[in-house]
Amino acid sequence: MLCTSMTQQVEQMSSVLRNEDLKEMLESNKESLKLEAMKRIVGLIAKGKSASELFPAVVKNVASKNIELKKLVYVYLVRYAEKQQDLALLSISTFQRALKDPNQFIRASALRVLSSIRVPIIVPIMMLAIKEAAADLSPYVRKTSAHAIQKLYSLDPDQKEQLIEVIEKLLKDKSTLVAGSVVMAFEEVCPDRIDLIHKNYRKLCNLLVDVEEWGQVVIISMLTRYARTQFTSPWTENKAFYDSDSEEKKDQTEAKPYIMDPDHRLLLRNTKPLLQSRNTAVVMAVAQLYWHLAPKHEVSIVTKSLVRLLRSHREVQYIVLQNIATMSIQRKGMFEPFIKSFYVRSTDATHIKTLKLEILTNLANEANISTILREFQTYVKSQDKAFAAATIQAIGRCATNISEVTDTCLNGLVLLLSNRDETVVAESIVVIKKLLQTQPTQHGDIIKHMAKLFDNVTVPMARASILWLMGEYCEKVPKIAPDVLRKMAKTFTAEEDIVKLQTVNLAAKLYLTNSKQTKLLTQYILNLGKYDQNYDIRDRTRFIRQLIVPNEKSGALSKYARRILLAPKPAPGLESAFKDRDRYQLGTLSHSLNLKATGYQELPDWPAVAPDQSVRNVEIVEPCPCVCTESGSESEEESSEDSEKTSSDSGKSSSGSEKSSSESESDQKKKKKTKKAPQKKSKPAGDRYTEIPHCLFPQNDSKKPTFRTSGISLFYMSFQVTTSSFGPLKTYELLHHMTGKGLSAKYHFPRQPCLYQPSMVAVQVILTNSSDHALEEIHIGDQSPASLNIHCFNTIERLEPGASVTVSMGIDFSDSTQAANFQLCTKEDQFSVSIQPAVGELLMASTMTEQDFCKEQGKLQGMNEASATITMATANASRQAINKQVLSVANVGEVPSSQNNFSRFAGQTVSSRALVLVSLELSESSGALLTINTEKSVMASMLLQDLKQALAQA
Amino acid sequence: MISQVFILSSKGDHLIYKDFRGGAGNDIVSIFYEKVTALTGDQPPVVMNHKDIYFVHIRQGGLYWVATTTAGSSPFTITEFLNRLAALVKDYCGSLSEKSVQMNFALIYELLDEIVDYGYIQTTSSDVLKNFIQTEAVTSRPFSLFDLSNVGLFGAETQQSKVAPSSAATRPIQSSREQGGKSEIFVDVIERMTVVIGSNGLLMKADVEGEIRVKCYMPSCSEMRIGLNEEFSIGKSQLRGYGAAVRVDECSFHQAVRLDEFDSHRILRLCPSQGEQTVMQYQLSDDLPSALPFRLFPTIERDNGGRLLMYMKLRCDLPPKSLSQELSSPDQSAELKPQSRAVVWKIARFAGGTQLSALFKLEVPSLSSASMLEVGPVGLSFELPKITATGLQIRFLRLSPIQPGPSQRWVRYVTHSDSYTIRI
Repeated sequence: MLCTSMTQQVEQMSSVLRNEDLKEMLESNKESLKLEAMKRIVGLIAKGKSASELFPAVVKNVASKNIELKKLVYVYLVRYAEKQQDLALLSISTFQRALKDPNQFIRASALRVLSSIRVPIIVPIMMLAIKEAAADLSPYVRKTSAHAIQKLYSLDPDQKEQLIEVIEKLLKDKSTLVAGSVVMAFEEVCPDRIDLIHKNYRKLCNLLVDVEEWGQVVIISMLTRYARTQFTSPWTENKAFYDSDSEEKKDQTEAKPYIMDPDHRLLLRNTKPLLQSRNTAVVMAVAQLYWHLAPKHEVSIVTKSLVRLLRSHREVQYIVLQNIATMSIQRKGMFEPFIKSFYVRSTDATHIKTLKLEILTNLANEANISTILREFQTYVKSQDKAFAAATIQAIGRCATNISEVTDTCLNGLVLLLSNRDETVVAESIVVIKKLLQTQPTQHGDIIKHMAKLFDNVTVPMARASILWLMGEYCEKVPKIAPDVLRKMAKTFTAEEDIVKLQTVNLAAKLYLTNSKQTKLLTQYILNLGKYDQNYDIRDRTRFIRQLIVPNEKSGALSKYARRILLAPKPAPGLESAFKDRDRYQLGTLSHSLNLKATGYQELPDWPAVAPDQSVRNVEIVEPCPCVCTESGSESEEESSEDSEKTSSDSGKSSSGSEKSSSESESDQKKKKKTKKAPQKKSKPAGDRYTEIPHCLFPQNDSKKPTFRTSGISLFYMSFQVTTSSFGPLKTYELLHHMTGKGLSAKYHFPRQPCLYQPSMVAVQVILTNSSDHALEEIHIGDQSPASLNIHCFNTIERLEPGASVTVSMGIDFSDSTQAANFQLCTKEDQFSVSIQPAVGELLMASTMTEQDFCKEQGKLQGMNEASATITMATANASRQAINKQVLSVANVGEVPSSQNNFSRFAGQTVSSRALVLVSLELSESSGALLTINTEKSVMASMLLQDLKQALAQA
Repeated sequence: MISQVFILSSKGDHLIYKDFRGGAGNDIVSIFYEKVTALTGDQPPVVMNHKDIYFVHIRQGGLYWVATTTAGSSPFTITEFLNRLAALVKDYCGSLSEKSVQMNFALIYELLDEIVDYGYIQTTSSDVLKNFIQTEAVTSRPFSLFDLSNVGLFGAETQQSKVAPSSAATRPIQSSREQGGKSEIFVDVIERMTVVIGSNGLLMKADVEGEIRVKCYMPSCSEMRIGLNEEFSIGKSQLRGYGAAVRVDECSFHQAVRLDEFDSHRILRLCPSQGEQTVMQYQLSDDLPSALPFRLFPTIERDNGGRLLMYMKLRCDLPPKSLSQELSSPDQSAELKPQSRAVVWKIARFAGGTQLSALFKLEVPSLSSASMLEVGPVGLSFELPKITATGLQIRFLRLSPIQPGPSQRWVRYVTHSDSYTIRI
């Protein structure tokens, strides 16, 4: 003690001395000395020692030009400003100046430090700075301002209202950089203001993939909560959910089949690719989102990703296993195919082993129990005794849950009774006791065997269990039981309490069944018990004596002694320790600890009736046709806002909004491009994994169409895309039911903008089961070429005979007619199929005015023009007929024409958005001049061919 | 959201302490250390609580990396964050140890300052961070080429230019810029085997998890192309070429990897950022292309004197040229560990194609025939340098455009045993 205080003193003295020379160094003129001093000061802080007396000397250096020095000063300032408020104010003006700096990084870091200085006087300055930064041109600065919001809020909660205004503004921000940060602020300042999210919901869903990973985690958890308040439950068959409600409710749902809100679907769809994230937190966030929000049959897509996390660090393994344990109780089927992944390895830590054991037990069923038991057998041999004991418990649980193997398990456990290790024997006895209770009839042998073991067993719990068994089934072992009692009478005083209690019980039961032999023994034991040190035992003894030994005082109760003591007892259920963990949201702190953590927000239950959906509708933002904007970024945004009214009346709610989101996304991309110079590219480039065979999701960057074609890149034009172009639907065969062993598939192009990605062509596939048995697990397998980008449909779990189902896919053909080959798989078979698009299906209809058409056509002359003179079939003379024929070939939009003999159609290629202009000039006779202008010359000639053919035939 | 982050040595010394949100008591660190040491078992639970404070911790490099939180964060976020932090510290300081953390507190403090703002994680991407971090790392022994000269002593290939010491890859990423553009790239192919062999000698389960790790010290990174075996295939259906294909079941890539040449030529293209990153992870179960590296033939008997006789014959089935070794132990030795009731047999070096045998006689009180059943299983742990269990090889490593000045590229293969169990 003395020693330590001495050293402390010495340390203090030396620290004062050191601080003196640090001060000198800071006041010197040499940068290097200052830097060295600051490093040492930061070292003091890092070790938790005080360096506050240096504040005046340090704060002078805040305006230093040397960035390294400046940063260290910032670190110091943030740490001590609260203690030295007056001096800290000296530095404020430096920051205010820095907030106006042309360099975005300096602006941002000034704001960050300024907001970290916890001095109440500067609250107004901070507020002003945040508001200004929230409107900054640089998204990096806007992001910093979002972070500053929480700091200001915790410094002065009175600012809440103003801060919410800033949050509301920042939520509208379209930058992925800002989205994560502002949602963090939202969650801290006003998590209950769910109304702020409505208008931004779709945007957040769409941006999600590109947000940096930590932001993704926060956004996903916020959206989970949001979805639980805004959508109705997709678990229609789940009756338990309605238990609390009345019967009519049930009728209601039966009358109205459940239809998922498209926004609900949007969330599920957009989070799915994130399952491939490298960040375990993101994967888990998505997994819990699916668990809490997705329809039951879709949850299983998260399984594989969760199992993948098991290869991560052991700390992560531990928490993942906890979550899987909870999930596996409710949904065995989810993890059953991966049962091997939960086999225990000899190198696992004990707590991981026990969790795996728990999961294996949960997953056990009739089919796999034999393999599981074989695994368990080797686990029992483990040197890790705690784990071996846990394994025996697990065997017991399997035995009770699956009645087929009860006997096998019991025999196995009896074998373990001869094990050399005491813990193993003891645990086995306890488990056997529980098992015997469930079916005591045929097990006299086992009880005899245990009686023989009794002398060698020393673990109290095991001894007590044997005694209890003896008493309970004393009629099956009439000879042995009194003998055991005799032995116990000898050693009674030396036993543990729990054993004594059971001895008393055994004595009483024997007295009732076999009083001739045991009367004296019982009385002896009761006498010993009467003077025991433990009052529980004294109580029990007194009670038993009154109950079984008839005397004049004993009332009516003793008549029922037999019925009380020897009543048949219900068998104990062996249950999982994770049984009630599902009351906590998965992946939360509370779930890990199995207790309610402070600040745990319970996940709200589904609303019975969904709130108004239209609150999420956003006025469609569409750049007005033919506005040519040059690389001015801010002005462009305004102009597009002006134009949004023009199209807001289009009543196509779902497809319309989908479109607008994609539009605004590309809009965004464009902004990124134009502002690239000042903006820090924030893509977390190194953070996600893409997995090969199953997912070929583009993390859609390079494939964004807007800037591919050089001709349009300077004058970005956007034409309104319509879905209206109607043509007769052609259906193609994908798989004939003969080759598909009963599975047949047809597809057609619905000519709608693809929901999954704007560069994809939407394809609808109709799957029909024409066999006589149900087909299971219909999904898409390997694809070729591998670079092909397909959005697969979700696996169809089951298709009944005669039933058919329509699913939609998205395929990015990259504007080529090369066939997309992939495999259509069922549970048993795989069929190679291919979709070969007609060239006309690679287009998207555009609308434009005749003027624009001519202007564009003028730009696409020469090499970009293909024309041919064709002979029209007589039936095709009328304009309507022409329209019909053209539209049947290609997905183009008609351009209103002022000249009678001219028909014009406009479209753009789906992938690269290159314009395709078709014009048809009718001449006097049945001849006509067909011209196609596009820079995709290959497409032009193919389209020309197709159109020629279509128009020539009647 | 994170309240504090601290790093403790295994003895409980404070190495780094940073409070992000203020208001926490000073005794937090000692409370944590008490709680952690009070727990029994080889690994205490990851999440602990003390009143309203929740501790999440991981262990790496013999250090406790702890974050506290007050409410509402997912434990996944925090463990992931701590793991990333440890990886970043390793990148920036060269290695993870008490010493390196102590020497680089200013750097780590700066890192923490950039990564976390007011308890919210901002970014952990090293590409972003390198723009902000100013402090240079301090290493105890600066890396120099002289280290390379004594490699030849260790029996490995003696040509200096071909082998770098394993310590070569443990240096901070930032020091590269002051060393006059000396740029190096280390590529490690690391595989871990999980094998269970039944008592009848049949293979019951074999699992290989592998990864390709790139550690890059290039100051300005150009594109790098890593060529794998041409016959490399993924999944069961694909088979390329004839003969011994190198096959894996599943494969996942780092997001920065571009795969446009992967299908045709098995080439991974990437622009590595500074520091360490796992470029590709793969997994193969059950169908190993080559024979298992080790076979054990145990015989267990009881002799007349009630002693347990264990006769072990261990055979190494690797091709004779290659070398497998357990480093650091000079010779064969065996030891009885009474606590874990196990015999440990150590073999320093084991040449391919050879066989070793050992006889252990154990006095066991009251040995019965039933207790014979309790013997086993046998666990092997080993390290096989220059060998991959899947047969994956790196054909070439090209940088384009060609770097100015000298650049060195190192490739290393190693297979570890994750859990290699032989049941008796």
